[in-house]
Amino acid sequence: MNRFISTPPSRLSGATVLGLALLWLFLMMLSGCAKQAVILMPDRDGHVGKAEVSTTKGKQTLDKEGDTTSVISKNFSPSSVTTAKPADIQKTFGEVLAIEPPPAETFTLFFETGTTDLTAESSEKIAAIIQSCQQRGAISVSVSGHTDATGSDQLNDQLARDRAEQVKKLLVEQGLNPDLITVSSHGKGNPAYPTPEGVAEPRNRRVVVIIH
Amino acid sequence: MKTSHHAFLMAVLISCAAQAAPSDIIGHIQNIQGTATIERGNTTLPGIKGTALYRGDRIRTGKPGAVGIVLTDDTSVSLGASSILTLNDYDFDPKEGKFSLVMRMLKGTFSYISGQIVKLSPDAVQLQTPDATIAVRGTKLLINVEE
Repeated sequence: MNRFISTPPSRLSGATVLGLALLWLFLMMLSGCAKQAVILMPDRDGHVGKAEVSTTKGKQTLDKEGDTTSVISKNFSPSSVTTAKPADIQKTFGEVLAIEPPPAETFTLFFETGTTDLTAESSEKIAAIIQSCQQRGAISVSVSGHTDATGSDQLNDQLARDRAEQVKKLLVEQGLNPDLITVSSHGKGNPAYPTPEGVAEPRNRRVVVIIH
Repeated sequence: MKTSHHAFLMAVLISCAAQAAPSDIIGHIQNIQGTATIERGNTTLPGIKGTALYRGDRIRTGKPGAVGIVLTDDTSVSLGASSILTLNDYDFDPKEGKFSLVMRMLKGTFSYISGQIVKLSPDAVQLQTPDATIAVRGTKLLINVEE
């Protein structure tokens, strides 16, 4: 298609142009022109982010609640942004919205410095984690160890992993099915409070338990 | 020409090898109503609550059918009836700084709620429909792909 468009029009006879236009229309019909619509919504915290919808011919940016654009072919720009009506959203997406997984429940645990011993306050959260898993009928429990951006990566990661393994052990001792649990170390790559390299931040040295 | 093809192939092979093992679980089915199936390679599995998901899986809902999935970075995707979603690429490895999430919505209705990957590496997430690509900055999207 691009090759046809980039050919100087002056070299094409009227009949050729008409023929190409008809061919193009025919190809469009063959491709079905299935409409694809995208609507921006606030997330669970009420935060509205941003989305860019692109085809080979153009781009539209959605950045307000209810912003919507649609695409009928990769050879056309997405349509101008309009606002979706709540009634239309409910009609098309009611079923999808009803099946959305409930938000995860998250617990953050802290340790005595340099050890895999939970602080007294965090120890008490183990029972709450077990209770939450039972109430939700949890299908997955992710246990991730995190460090701050000081010290040797290798030592930090080992300690983060050891702490996460210790939390898994405590949860299994309290009766949680070990098959539901995945243990990982995020090292310094997923801080709760981002800092420059080399800055000590005790709130980043933690284990995060996420229950789905 | 041939040499450059070989170099390209090698690059593809190396980049494939560098990705997480395909055996890693990348998410689970959290909610389901009606019927849904998972197509994995040449096999088709019935979807039930708790079914593990892997990179490359194709999720297809029946009519009636609706399914809610959660990936390991907390990304959540729901599908309405007669919908097809493929999980083309996924990497969530904060320790190594490796992030990727590419999903293709082939037909049907979808709700997408972003997870940790978007926060840690916004450019790593791409949603695709048959004719468009969608870049996301931390939010929820509703997507309808008509047949």
